Amino acid sequence: MRVLCCSESAKQSGIEPQLSLSTALALCPELLTLQRQPEREKTRLQQLALIAYSFSPVVIIDEKGLWLELSGCEKLFHSYRQLLQQLQTKLLHHCTDVAMGIAGSAYAARLLCQPGFRCELPQSIELEQQFRRTSLNLLRVTKRQQQSFQQLGLTYLDDLLALPRAELASRFGTAIVEQLQLLLGEKPCQLKLFNPPATFHDLLQSPQGILSKQGLLFPMKALLQRLSIYLQARQCYCRKIEWRFEPLIGDHSSMCITLSGSQNSWSTLLDLSRLQLDRINLPGSIETIILSTDDFAEGLPEGLDLFGDTSAGEERLETNRLIDSLSARLGPEALQQPVMGDNYLPEEAGKIVAPGEHQPVTVGHSGLQPLWLLPKPIALQLRNQQLFWRQPLYILSGPRRLSDNWWQSDQQRDYYLACDNEGSRYWLFKQAGTDRWFVQGLFS
Amino acid sequence: MPNTEIITKLLARHDTWRGQSQKPSQRSISSGNDQIDLLLKGGWPASALTELLVQRPGIGELSLLLPTIKDYCQNNHLSVWLDPPYQPYAPALAAAGIALQKVLIVQSKSAAEWLWVAEQCIRNNALLLAWSDNKMPSYSDLRKLQLAAADSGHAAFLFSNNKQSGNQKSNRQESGSSPATLRLEVDSVGEKNLRLSVRKLRGVAPGEQLLIPRGKDLSSQVSLAKLPVNSVYPAIPISTDIPRIKTSDQRLNA
Repeated sequence: MRVLCCSESAKQSGIEPQLSLSTALALCPELLTLQRQPEREKTRLQQLALIAYSFSPVVIIDEKGLWLELSGCEKLFHSYRQLLQQLQTKLLHHCTDVAMGIAGSAYAARLLCQPGFRCELPQSIELEQQFRRTSLNLLRVTKRQQQSFQQLGLTYLDDLLALPRAELASRFGTAIVEQLQLLLGEKPCQLKLFNPPATFHDLLQSPQGILSKQGLLFPMKALLQRLSIYLQARQCYCRKIEWRFEPLIGDHSSMCITLSGSQNSWSTLLDLSRLQLDRINLPGSIETIILSTDDFAEGLPEGLDLFGDTSAGEERLETNRLIDSLSARLGPEALQQPVMGDNYLPEEAGKIVAPGEHQPVTVGHSGLQPLWLLPKPIALQLRNQQLFWRQPLYILSGPRRLSDNWWQSDQQRDYYLACDNEGSRYWLFKQAGTDRWFVQGLFS
Repeated sequence: MPNTEIITKLLARHDTWRGQSQKPSQRSISSGNDQIDLLLKGGWPASALTELLVQRPGIGELSLLLPTIKDYCQNNHLSVWLDPPYQPYAPALAAAGIALQKVLIVQSKSAAEWLWVAEQCIRNNALLLAWSDNKMPSYSDLRKLQLAAADSGHAAFLFSNNKQSGNQKSNRQESGSSPATLRLEVDSVGEKNLRLSVRKLRGVAPGEQLLIPRGKDLSSQVSLAKLPVNSVYPAIPISTDIPRIKTSDQRLNA
C-alpha cells in the first residue's frame, strides 16, 4: 500500500506521494490515513462531468479527470476567456484545487496539466514549445524503455519526435508510436463520450447522524442543487422526486414529492420537501440521505426558455406551484378535482379524481343539475304517502326520466326537484316500477 | 424636509386611513346579478374577505357565486374549494361554464391546516371558497385571511353556518364581530325566494335586505294528480315570486 497524496503538514514530517505505507508510518507514527474510495471518486467525477456538460457537448471522463473539447464553444460564450472564467467559478464551487492543461489533443492536454486554473488560452507557438519540452518520464512507458531513453540521451518529447517513426516502432514497439500519434492528434481519441445517466440517484452521508429535521435541510439543499445541475444538463424536468432517510439501525423512512409543472429550481423543491418533512415521522438518527428520481418529462426547466416566452406560462406555473405546495403539506390524497364521467348516471357522470388526471369527456347533460351530490343515493322514507328525509319533502317539479346503464344493471329513474319546509332544495329520484325513493343531491 | 418616499409608501398601503375626502373607493367584482350589485354597491368586494352566513345548506347560496367563479376560471386562476360539505357535481359546474380543471377541492384535517391552506390560496392568486362548518376559525384567524386578501388583491369567500348548533358555538358569531369586509346573511323565504341581508359592509346600513327569486328553471311543472306521493306544500305567506319592479321597492327595510 502506498501513499497517494498527503497534506502540507504531512509533507513537513517527510511524507511524500508514492511512499509505502509502512515507511510513512515509521516516519510519522501519528499519521492519519484514509483509504482510497474509487467508487466515490467515480461519482465525484460524474458530478463534475455534469457541470462541464453545460460548457461543452464533448466531455470525456478519464480515470483521473475530465476532458472537455473547447473548440466550437467559443461563440456561445463570446470568447474562450469568458468560457474559462465561467467554468472556473463553477468548478471552484465544487472542488478546492484544480489542475488543468490546454493543448491541441486530449492526451497532450493531460501531459501539460499543471496545478492552478488559467483563464487565458495559451498562444499556439508557446503551446508547441511547452509540448516539445515535456519530459519523457511522463509518457506511459515501461521502466526499461525509460532507461534506454536515458542511455540514448533522449530527455524531452522533442528528441523523440525527431526520430523516424518506423525505427522507433521497431525498437520500442508500436505502442509508443500510437501514443505519439494520439498526442499529436493524428489519431482520433477513441474514448466514450460522457452522457448524463438516465436516472438520478445521489446520497449524502453523515457519520455522526442527523438528529433533527432542521439539520436535514442543509444536506437536502446540497442534494437538490446537484439534481438541478443534472436537470439542466439533461434539459428536462422531473415529475417526482423521492427522499429516503436511512438510520444506522432500524427502518428507513421515505417521502415522495410529486410535481405538477416544470418548476424545478432547487429552492422550490426544497420548500416542497420541507413542507412534506413536517408531516412524516423520521427515525431517531439519520445517517444517509438519498435523493432519487426516474420520472422525467421533456422540456426546459424554469427560466431556461430560449425565446423568453414566460408571460403566458406564468399563471399556469403559479397554479402548479400552489397545487404542489398544498399536496406536499396535506398529502396528495387531500387534493381532488371534479371531472365529467362518460356515463349519464349521476354517480358516474360527476366524479372526483386526483388533480392532473383530466380527460376531456363530452357528455351532454341537460335539465336541472344540483351543485352538490351525495356520495351515495340515500333511501327515503314514505310516511303516509309523504316523503321524508330529516323533514317532510315536497315535490316542486318533475319527473325527468333517466334510463341508462342497461348493459350492467338497468337503471330507470324518474328525477324530481323537491324542497323542505325551510327552503332547501333536493334532487330526488324514484326507481321506475318500484316505490323506492332516493335523495341524490342538493341544489345550492 | 419630509421624507417623501416613506409617505408615498404609507399612502400606497390599503389600510392607511386618509380621511373622508380621500377615501379610496373599494374595488368590487360584479356578482352577475344586477340586484345584488345594487345592494352591495357594485358587487362582491374585491381584495377582501366576504363571509356568507348561510342558514342551512341547499338554499342556493353557492349559485350566488357561480358567475364569479366562472370569471376567475376564465382568467386562468384556480378556484379552491376548501372543505366543501358535499361533493361538487361536475356536470352542474360545467353547465355553469366553469372550467373543471381550474377547480381544486381540498380537504383539511385540522383547523391549523384549514387556515394554512386558506392563506396559501389567497396569497397565490387563487379564488378561495372555504366552508368552516366544524373548524370555527377565531377572529384573529379571519383577520389573517382578510389581510391576505387585501395584500393579494383577490376576493375570498367564507361560508359559515348561521344556525346555532350546540352551546360550544364560537362567541364570534353570536357577538357578530368579524374582520370580514362584507358579512351577508343568506336565508330562504318560502320555497322560491332567497333573502340576502347585509350585516356589515362599508357604506351600507346593516340590516338592508334583498329578496331574490331562485330557480327560474322550474320549467316542467308537475301534474300533481299523477304523483305517486302526497306533495302539497304548506302555505307560507311569502311564497310567491316578487315581480320585477323598481329595485328600491324590493328592498325590505327591517
